[in-house]
Amino acid sequence: MRNKLIFSPWIALAPALILTVILLGASLIYGVAQSLGLMSVIGQDSISLDAYINLLSGQGMAGREFWGSLAFSLWISITSTLISAFLALLLAVWLSELKHTGAAENLALNWNLAIPHLVWAVALLLFFSQSGLLARWAATLGLIQAPADFPVWVRDRYGIGIILHYVSKEIPFLAIIVLAVLRRQSTSYTQVAENLGATRWQRIRFVTLPLVAPSLLSGMLLVFAFIFSSYEVPALLGVNFPRMLPVLALRFFNDPDLRSRADGMAISLIITIIVLVVAVISLKKGEQQ
Amino acid sequence: MKRIVFISILFMLVLAACAPTAGDTANAPASESAPITGGESAAFELDDWDSVLSAAAGQTVNWYIWGGSDSINAFVDNFYGKALQERFNITLNRIPIADTVDAVNQVLSEKQAGIDPGVVDLIWINGENFNTLKQADLLYRDWAEQLPNSRYVNWDNPAINRDFGVPVEGMESPWSSAQLQLVYDSARMSAEELPRSYPEFSVWACEHPGRATYIAPGPGGYVGTRFIKGALFEISGGAEQWATFNQDLWDQWSPELWDYLNDLAPCLWRNGETYPKDEAELRGLFANNEVDFSLTQDISGAGSAIAQGLVPETTRTFVFDNYMIGDFNYVAIPVNAPNKAAALVFANLILEPEFQAAQILPENGFGLGYAIDVNRVSDPDLQALLQESANKLGESATPASDLARALVGDSAPEYQALIEQAWVENVLQK
Repeated sequence: MRNKLIFSPWIALAPALILTVILLGASLIYGVAQSLGLMSVIGQDSISLDAYINLLSGQGMAGREFWGSLAFSLWISITSTLISAFLALLLAVWLSELKHTGAAENLALNWNLAIPHLVWAVALLLFFSQSGLLARWAATLGLIQAPADFPVWVRDRYGIGIILHYVSKEIPFLAIIVLAVLRRQSTSYTQVAENLGATRWQRIRFVTLPLVAPSLLSGMLLVFAFIFSSYEVPALLGVNFPRMLPVLALRFFNDPDLRSRADGMAISLIITIIVLVVAVISLKKGEQQ
Repeated sequence: MKRIVFISILFMLVLAACAPTAGDTANAPASESAPITGGESAAFELDDWDSVLSAAAGQTVNWYIWGGSDSINAFVDNFYGKALQERFNITLNRIPIADTVDAVNQVLSEKQAGIDPGVVDLIWINGENFNTLKQADLLYRDWAEQLPNSRYVNWDNPAINRDFGVPVEGMESPWSSAQLQLVYDSARMSAEELPRSYPEFSVWACEHPGRATYIAPGPGGYVGTRFIKGALFEISGGAEQWATFNQDLWDQWSPELWDYLNDLAPCLWRNGETYPKDEAELRGLFANNEVDFSLTQDISGAGSAIAQGLVPETTRTFVFDNYMIGDFNYVAIPVNAPNKAAALVFANLILEPEFQAAQILPENGFGLGYAIDVNRVSDPDLQALLQESANKLGESATPASDLARALVGDSAPEYQALIEQAWVENVLQK
């Protein structure tokens, strides 16, 4: 009986697993092969670690940009994750304290989850670019002299536009996770703390945060991994330099010189390894709960 | 007992889920082998055009073409698609792609997977992508000069028989021509104020901070690469010396090029911190009145963009007095194309003088220049038609005499990647 219980989820998962393993596995093998310089169409049949060595030692066209891109990717991913987690926590606490939580709050939390990242990014661009709606309104109202005087919030060197995008998209996601935990807890902990004279901020810091920390942390790791490896938003809202790693990877993968593909693939695999490490940490944290 | 039933149901579900996968792999070779027999029955000899025509009848030509312009798509369907069907019983299957490199990747992947015949019959191509496929030996050879209409093409012209300096060797056939030009709005400035050289452009930019920029050189931004090559030509005092690759020449002049561009950068849009990544983005900035110049390669000048409502009707184009790179673009047939005969007929059709005359008119939606040499057309009616089209371009196009005076050929292909890489390090990251 017990064996069957352990066995059955694997059978249930099998259709999905087999497809994933075949499709993902095949492309992964091709990816690894290309990153090792295997390109039979241009007569390269020997394996070399040149792409990785060049990247890690900062040599060559891709290598000279690699460490900067890695730092930029980390800056964007970590900042976006921390800001959204902090704001999501406040939002969830506020929502959980409301007496009547009904359809309106749920809608307020959920509506932006349904909007694809690409659409959201284009919307941000239309609103916040220097020729965007806000710039034009501000110019019409006389707040600034010309639309071009509007501060640079998207396509800026520091990735503010990208961070703005991810924060606005991930707050609801993390808030829903936190809210789910808070609603399962009884309110007695907070009430006890309140009776003992804890301020509102102390209650959040010493009561709520420890309660939701494990779930929030798992959610944050997910969000980090997602942002770190996504392409379309930094491609739309970023500048030519510095570029996030996925943008850099595609640049070299699509280079007309076929030998550059090894660099593109090596960057992709480095991204994969970093995301995998984060995913494993996230899983371990989940098990500890 | 219940559990056993449950598990067997799960097994059935698993099998059912797997069935399509197994079926797909079983079907794939079958569907691949079908066109091979089709290809064999449709045998033809390149030097016997009638055999090509009869082999092509009933075929479909799968043309992979950049699909980012609705007006070009409509032009292709309305002019070529109809004529192919009516005259040769060939169906044109236009496959829109975001970037030519997508078609190149398709052919490369087919080669890696050993798929022959593949799915691509014809690619709109030039320059670096041609070089990529030629490098991988994936192009059908020695056909372009065998087309009946190649008699209209001046194959002795180095701008035609070399593509970005790479010898064409009959592996691609020209479709149209283009030349770098600058775009301005005659409602914002008069023709007398226009800069007419790279130094004058720099002076203008610094007198009007933030009102000019250029396209970041790189894949997808080759118009920007071209703009920078022009600067290199002017700084070094000549274009011809760059037609063959010479590292010493590059080492001698490139520092002066970076000086020019770095002096220019603080005067540019966003202080040169970032640059538009392609022509569409720069045109957007121009149309939004963020900058005063755009770049184009259309021989019809601003006509196509005006016809599409992308820029104001007062938009005009102009060139500097010299060093404005012009070139031709081509169609190529992959070596594993399933319908080579139909692709050949199509490549021949687009060189017909009547279609060449139609393609330069902006109202038809394409707006690039002639691939054929007008003087090689002997039929007086066709000659008159070509002349009439050229006369119709009007004031939104750069005068033909200005274009001809400023025209120079592109540099050797080695400079392409070199300039794009070095620009990132020497200008963008400064």
